Amino acid sequence: MRYLILSVLMIFMLPSWGTAGYKQEFESEFMTKTWAGVQVEENVCISCHASDKMKPEYREITEAWQASWHAQNNISCEKCHGGDPKDAVLAMSRERGFVGSPQPKNVPEFCGKCHIAIVTKFLESGHGKALMSGHKAPNCVTCHGSHNIQKASISIISEQLCTKCHTYERAKVMKQALFLTESKIEELEHNLEGLKREGIYPVTDERNLFSTEAEFRALFHTVDVNLVKDRTDEFTSRLDKIDNNIQATYRELKFRKNFAAFLMLTFAGMGIVVFLLNQTKD
Amino acid sequence: MKRRRFLKVILAFLGSITVFSFVFSILKFLTALPTRAADVQKLVIRKSEVPLGEATNIIYQNAPAVLINRADKGYIAFLRTCTHLGCLVEFSKIRQKLICPCHAGTYDLDGSVESGPPPKPLIAIPLKIEGDNIILG
Amino acid sequence: MWKNLRHWLDVRIGLDGIIQTQVIDYRIPKNTNIFYTLGFLAVIAYILQAITGIVLLIYYVPHPDYAFSSVQETIMTKVPYGWLFREMHTVGSNLLILIVMLHMITVFLMGNYKRPRELTWLGGGLLLIITVIFGFSGYLLPWNQLSYWATTVVTSMPTAFPLIGEPIARILRGGDHVTGMTLSRFFALHVAILPPIFLTLVGIHLFLINRTGISATPFGKIDDEQRPLTEYKRKSYPEGYPYYPSFFQKQMYMMMAYFAIMFFIITFLPTLNFPDAVNSPADPLRTPAEIKPAWYLLAPYQLMKIIPNKFFGIMLQLILLIVFLIWPFLDTQKEKNVMKRPILRGVFIFLLAAWVVLLYWGRS
Repeated sequence: MRYLILSVLMIFMLPSWGTAGYKQEFESEFMTKTWAGVQVEENVCISCHASDKMKPEYREITEAWQASWHAQNNISCEKCHGGDPKDAVLAMSRERGFVGSPQPKNVPEFCGKCHIAIVTKFLESGHGKALMSGHKAPNCVTCHGSHNIQKASISIISEQLCTKCHTYERAKVMKQALFLTESKIEELEHNLEGLKREGIYPVTDERNLFSTEAEFRALFHTVDVNLVKDRTDEFTSRLDKIDNNIQATYRELKFRKNFAAFLMLTFAGMGIVVFLLNQTKD
Repeated sequence: MKRRRFLKVILAFLGSITVFSFVFSILKFLTALPTRAADVQKLVIRKSEVPLGEATNIIYQNAPAVLINRADKGYIAFLRTCTHLGCLVEFSKIRQKLICPCHAGTYDLDGSVESGPPPKPLIAIPLKIEGDNIILG
Repeated sequence: MWKNLRHWLDVRIGLDGIIQTQVIDYRIPKNTNIFYTLGFLAVIAYILQAITGIVLLIYYVPHPDYAFSSVQETIMTKVPYGWLFREMHTVGSNLLILIVMLHMITVFLMGNYKRPRELTWLGGGLLLIITVIFGFSGYLLPWNQLSYWATTVVTSMPTAFPLIGEPIARILRGGDHVTGMTLSRFFALHVAILPPIFLTLVGIHLFLINRTGISATPFGKIDDEQRPLTEYKRKSYPEGYPYYPSFFQKQMYMMMAYFAIMFFIITFLPTLNFPDAVNSPADPLRTPAEIKPAWYLLAPYQLMKIIPNKFFGIMLQLILLIVFLIWPFLDTQKEKNVMKRPILRGVFIFLLAAWVVLLYWGRS
């Protein structure tokens, strides 16, 4: 009987030898098939710009973008340049709202489609006013770069960059005014990341931090040191509130550890006692 | 015999503190999330403070909020926290929309997302109208 | 008071009779060892899973928009002691599978699966499968990157079957991809469909153990069950020691050890089961760098990966599974002690080693 069962199973296996399959095919069909709910739609901007037919300087655009902060947040070409990323023929037609690379004077408007608060403050600033009145002045990409834009940080303000146009003295004063608040923001960001790794989801604090940070950086774009200095106290108190929450969460984590350790000890204790009871005969 | 008795006392002690710990934690677990019912303060705003087609920024239960007097559909109030990354949305009188300054998320005056990155509509605050007063909460 | 209550119950349900037959007259053979408590330990672990699971159910929301925040934000961050019950449930599920595996390995090595206990083994094997399905369906519920992509990988394993594979995968996922539909059905599976099936099987398993009697051949010391199987006879041990208190105490300290290990992990390795991918919500557009199923599914997963012919790969696993389940019917050798059977011993060690190697291979 058992030989019958075994041989039936064996026969059942035979067809598998017959169906020819190779590892490569297997991997291409089975392991790497995307099972995701929504497939990333083909973006003709990228596929065309990345192809060999393009001039190298055009090809570099996609590479630069792919390494950028925008790419990490799913902001692709059409969000800034307009056009139609689904239609290869009309992708760069003006009717579909395509804008190529803007004139320096139009850059603030170009970026300000999304970064509303920043542009408002920038246009109030010395930089912005000079730019709009047709003088030689920096626009957004002068400091932030364009396609390979990275997450903004205080390190953008540097002697090398500022001395392209003017002396570093005033920029240095500004950097000093920003420094404490910026390093506090950085520290809090780091702490929130740490809490997340511990399984905490501090979403309210994260949002408060982002909102504070965004407002503070918008304020900086006025390049008005006195304004920044005046309002630093307000930002510091907002950051302190977030910091207090983070510290409370760290204390909570410590409590959790102690509580679990306490339960571990009581159970271990009970185990030992029952074991001793078991060994002690009446 | 004495030793057995001693062991049993220890066992009863350890057992009861363990059981107590679990009972305590499950009771805490079930009575979680203290409702702010006790300190919910109704906010009263006079109608004259918000002219037709305009809005006023208020603080509702320690959170920034906005009260809008819509031209066609009456009063509505929202928390100003953008559902994308938490910046504070601003009412635009010209466009009759709520716009987030950080990444240009746009909401219509019902709070639903019109364009931009926000994943969810704005959180509305319940309100009542009594005579000349608007009562939030 | 206590005496009165006992009497009150005794005249109604015959309490003393049950205690006499099930606790005092229930004799445990003298040569049992510590591995005999593993089955009891598994029952305790299951009960703990049920309790902590019900506790978590109070705050869990089975909807793709809310599942992640209900677990990570509500249970883990906001609700007091929510972390405790989630950690106990997660650590418990892994320890549970470990205990069930250990239980089966020791039962196998002691030859206790043999006649007349074939059905008990079969029931146990089915319980292991149900347990793994429990683990695998519970894995998706937090709706984070890890659970989403691990489920994506595991539900694509049946597609190795020609013809019927794709429909099976579609039934599992409720569509072509892992979506909110999958979450709903995995939730139903985890909390409503599996528990009654599971309880029925546990009932049968325990009934069979009670009816057949304990098999007293720890590593095949004495075997007096060589009699021809012609009529039913419950195995009993008049010279053994009573279940209470000695054996009961053994079970109790094993249980305490189980809890102590669980809280050791919660204290010192709280993120053991929560790698980084657990802390971000499921995103169908972004595949994390490493997608791996849970450790207990790593070995079959790795086997699928290394066998070039995928149909052969899945058939091999299916056949191994069937042989594993019906093994007592195939094995008619009289010798109960596996250690005295070099071939079987060799095969067993080979399979166990292969399992461990595949697991480690799959991890890297």
